[in-house]
Amino acid sequence: MSQLSYGNINDKVVNSMEPPGKSWMVSMVLILGALSMGVFAWAIQLRHGLEWSGINHPIGWGVYITNFVFWIGIGHAGTLISAVLYLVRAPFRNSIYRASEAMTVFAVMTAGLFPLIHLGRAWFAYWLLPYPNQRELWVNFKSPLLWDVFAISTYMSVSIAFFILGLIPDLATVRDESKGIKRFLYSIPALCFRGTNHQWLHYMRGYLLFAAIATPLVFSVHSIVSWDFAMSSLPGWHSTIFAPYFVAGAIFSGCAMVLTIMIPLRQAFPGFKEIIKVKNLEGMAKMIIFTSLIVTYAYIVEFFIAYYSGSPYERALFWFRPFGEMSHYFWLMVSCNCIVPLTLFVKKIRTNIPALFIISLLVNVGMWLERFVIVGTSLAHEFVPFAWGSYQFEWAEIWITIGSFGWFFMWFFIFVKIMPSIAIAEMKETLTPPFRKN
Amino acid sequence: MKKKFLGAWATFEYLDDTCAAIKELKTEGYDQITTHTPCPRHEIDHALGNPQSRVPFATLAGAVLGFGLAVLIITKMGLDWILPVSGKPIISVPIMGPIAFELSVLVAIYFTMGAIFFMIVWDAWRHPVPKSRKYKDYNRFMRDRFGIVVACGNDDLMKIEAIFKNHQAEEVTLEN
Repeated sequence: MSQLSYGNINDKVVNSMEPPGKSWMVSMVLILGALSMGVFAWAIQLRHGLEWSGINHPIGWGVYITNFVFWIGIGHAGTLISAVLYLVRAPFRNSIYRASEAMTVFAVMTAGLFPLIHLGRAWFAYWLLPYPNQRELWVNFKSPLLWDVFAISTYMSVSIAFFILGLIPDLATVRDESKGIKRFLYSIPALCFRGTNHQWLHYMRGYLLFAAIATPLVFSVHSIVSWDFAMSSLPGWHSTIFAPYFVAGAIFSGCAMVLTIMIPLRQAFPGFKEIIKVKNLEGMAKMIIFTSLIVTYAYIVEFFIAYYSGSPYERALFWFRPFGEMSHYFWLMVSCNCIVPLTLFVKKIRTNIPALFIISLLVNVGMWLERFVIVGTSLAHEFVPFAWGSYQFEWAEIWITIGSFGWFFMWFFIFVKIMPSIAIAEMKETLTPPFRKN
Repeated sequence: MKKKFLGAWATFEYLDDTCAAIKELKTEGYDQITTHTPCPRHEIDHALGNPQSRVPFATLAGAVLGFGLAVLIITKMGLDWILPVSGKPIISVPIMGPIAFELSVLVAIYFTMGAIFFMIVWDAWRHPVPKSRKYKDYNRFMRDRFGIVVACGNDDLMKIEAIFKNHQAEEVTLEN
C-alpha cells in the first residue's frame, strides 16, 4: 500500500473524476427510471388531486410529510460533520465530509420538494412566503410552519454556501491537474484560487466562522421541524422532548446515510480505500451508537411521560402505537433504531464493512418508519374515537417516495463525476508536510 | 494598463526551507511577500508574523443586519394585517426568536462570503504577483510545491535570489 502524499491525494481524487464507466451508467439508468416513475406519479396526482395519495381524514399528513422530515434529517449529518466535527477537530471527519456535505445539499433539495407535493396545488407554493400583495395580507409569523419556511430556506442557502466555499481550493487543484477545455471549465468556479497566504488566511477564517454559525443552525432547523408537531395540542405530538429528540434522530439517520453512500463510494474507487479508512467509518459507527441511545432514551421517556401525565388521551395513544393496528411499523422501528445499532458495540461488527452497510440501511428504514409512526399514529388516534382512522399507502405516494431517492442519487452520482468527492486540501492538512529535517 | 511586476519568485519542495526563506526575507525588510501552499499551513503563518483577517467584522455586521431585518419585517407585517391568535400579543417578542435567528445566520453567511471574496481581491491588489506566462502556468502550487513571491526593486533582485538559493529553492525566477 502506497504512503499518502500531497501529490498522490491529487491523483486519487482526480482519477475518480474520469469519464464514467459501465457500472455508473447502469446505476444511472436505474436511478433515472425511479425518478421518472416518481415524476409520472406526481403528474397524475397534480391532475387528479391528493385523493391519489393515502392522505385522508383524519390523517392529513401522510407519507409526504414523513418524507419531508426524513430527508431534512438526512441533510443534518453533512453540516454536522462539516461544521460541528470541524470545531471539535474530530480526526475521522476529513475524508468523509465532502461527500456528506453534498449529501446534505441534495437531501435538503429533496426535502424541499415534499411541502410542494403535499400542497397538492404546488403552483400556489409562493403563498407561503411573505411577499407584497394586493390586500397586504401577510403570513402568520406565530405559526411554526412559517418558521419552518425560514429555517429550511436558510439551511439550504447555508449548506450550499458552505459546500461551495469548501470546494473552491479543490476545484483549483482539479483545474491545475487538467488540460484543455476541462481546465478552462474548472478555472471558472475555482475563482483564480492559487493557494496564496492571503487566500488561505481569509478562506480559513471565513470557513471557521461558517462552521461556528452553521453549528447552532443544525440544531435549530430540526428543532423547528419538531415544533411543526410539538406546538400543536395533539396527543403524541405536544411534547417538550421533541426538539432534542428530533435533532438526535436527524443526526442518527444522517450518519447512517453517510455510511450508506460512503461505503459504495469507497468500493467504486479503489484509490479511496487509503483515504477513507476503516477507522473513519468506525468513527461514524460510534456516532450511530451514541445517537441511537439518545433516540432510544427519548422513546422510553415518551412512554413514561404519557403514563405519568395521567392524561387518558396520551395514555391511549401510547397504547395504540405498540398494540394498535399500526403496531408493526412501531416494532419494526424499535428493532431498526434501538436493537440493531447495539450490535455496533462489538468492534468486529463496526469494523466489518458489509455489516456496517447493512446496519446503515436498516437504520435508514427505521428512521423513515419513526417519522411515519409520529405523523400517522397521532393523527389516526386523536381525542374522540369516532374520528379515529387508519392509513393505506397508495401507489402514487410510493412511487413519489422511490422517485425522491432517484432524485437524490441522480445528483449524487453526477456530483462524484464532476466534483472532487474527497476534500483534497483538508486531507493534505492531516498529513505531515514534507520537511527536509525530520 | 496592468501594473508591471518587479521582483522574484521561487518554488520549494520542503516546508521548513520555505519558512526559513520567509523569515530571512522578513529580517531583511521585505514585506511584500506572497506565499503559495497546497493546503493551509500554520508554519507559514508563523513565519509571516501571524497576519489576521478582517472577515469576522463582516460576519458580525451581517448578523446584526439580519436580526434587525427580521424584527422589522415581523413588526411591520404584524401591524399591517392584524392577525389575532389565541389572545397572543400582535407584536410578540418570543415568536420573533426563530425567524430572527435564521435571518441573522443567513445574512451573516452572505456577508462572510462577500468579505472573503472582497478581502482576497483586495490583498491581490496590495500584494502583486508576476504576470508572466511562466508563473501563471506553473501548476504545482496546488499539488505539492511551496512558493514565495517577493516584490522588490531592481537593485534587490540578486540579493533575493541569493536568499532563495541559500534555502534550497528548487527553481528561482527573476521578473524584471
